[in-house]
Amino acid sequence: MKIKKGFVLRTVCGENVIVGEGLDAINFGRMLSLNETAAFLWKKAMEYGDFTADSLADALCEEYDVDKAQALNDVKETLDNWTKLGVIE
Amino acid sequence: MKGTQYYIVAEHTFCVKATDSILALMQNYEPFRTAPIEDLLFGLTVTNGSPVDYIEEWRQDEEGQDTICGHTEQGEPVFEFRFGGKTAGWLVCVPGYRSGVLYLCGFQTMAAVDNALMIMFAMASACLGTVLFHAAVVSLDGRGYMFLGKSGTGKSTHARLWLENIPGTELMNDDNPAVRIKADGTAVVYGTPWSGKTPCYRNVSAPLGGIVLLNQAPYNKIVPLKGVGAYAAVVPSISGKRWDERIADGLHETENALTSNIPVWHLDCLPDANAALICKETITQ
Repeated sequence: MKIKKGFVLRTVCGENVIVGEGLDAINFGRMLSLNETAAFLWKKAMEYGDFTADSLADALCEEYDVDKAQALNDVKETLDNWTKLGVIE
Repeated sequence: MKGTQYYIVAEHTFCVKATDSILALMQNYEPFRTAPIEDLLFGLTVTNGSPVDYIEEWRQDEEGQDTICGHTEQGEPVFEFRFGGKTAGWLVCVPGYRSGVLYLCGFQTMAAVDNALMIMFAMASACLGTVLFHAAVVSLDGRGYMFLGKSGTGKSTHARLWLENIPGTELMNDDNPAVRIKADGTAVVYGTPWSGKTPCYRNVSAPLGGIVLLNQAPYNKIVPLKGVGAYAAVVPSISGKRWDERIADGLHETENALTSNIPVWHLDCLPDANAALICKETITQ
């Protein structure tokens, strides 16, 4: 999977927000607030370019004190949400 | 005969090179005229021209006015201005927007000049803490209050209701004020030569006291917006080309500073005197 072109992570008044700024994302028309974990996953996904639920879960386990099964669960939930919103493909 | 005139808007200077007859048409810029100056934000040359070849990126259609954005093969930004489907001119800029040439078709000349200058101003100043708003702005007791909203929401109407019902209120600009974050972090709102259908071209400024997003409703009610909510209210009213990362970064920095420091409100309102009074009571406290 990868993040769709044109979506950018911004810090707005101290909060992490995804906004559509590129030509392919300009009609997104909303902003998506991310909690700390989701923002971490977004940054990792950007860094990897091409990512899987598994690769992000590994990153999560390295950063936070969480077991793999739990991490994979959290990552899948976040990715499902992002897919529904159309910010990843 | 050709000439060059210099202007200062929101403390940014620019020059326009054009024929005397076009310069004479630029009456809305007269209050912003300044002496020749070397350190310019940008320069625009206006001339007659033929169609420009470019690759389209995006187009915006607003009340029969099309602006088509693109770039030449060499990567120079291009903007084509159409009115009722007919082209008035092409603006070709250098990357970075420090200079540009407007090629005119001899139709809707002043609208094309205004559009070209607004675009160049917004792009060239985007990384200098300056944004061009789509808003009406009034001043009261030395502060500026800006009203935002989608086209047709009643920004001008709400501004007029302040003028009619709140003594001491003045209209600073009715459509396109500029806002600038100063070195000390304060935000200042400025009148500009661009004011939509209302001829209000005033070279005035005031510290920005508040921003109000208007929404038509069968009642009057005002609530504060904070954080992301305030940011989301402000961003759609700011002109820019956000798919240009450098410009998007510059705009974001200004928008974030604005919404962190300036009170932002959401006003559900009727087009009546009470809306202006409730708004004023709340935001000028």
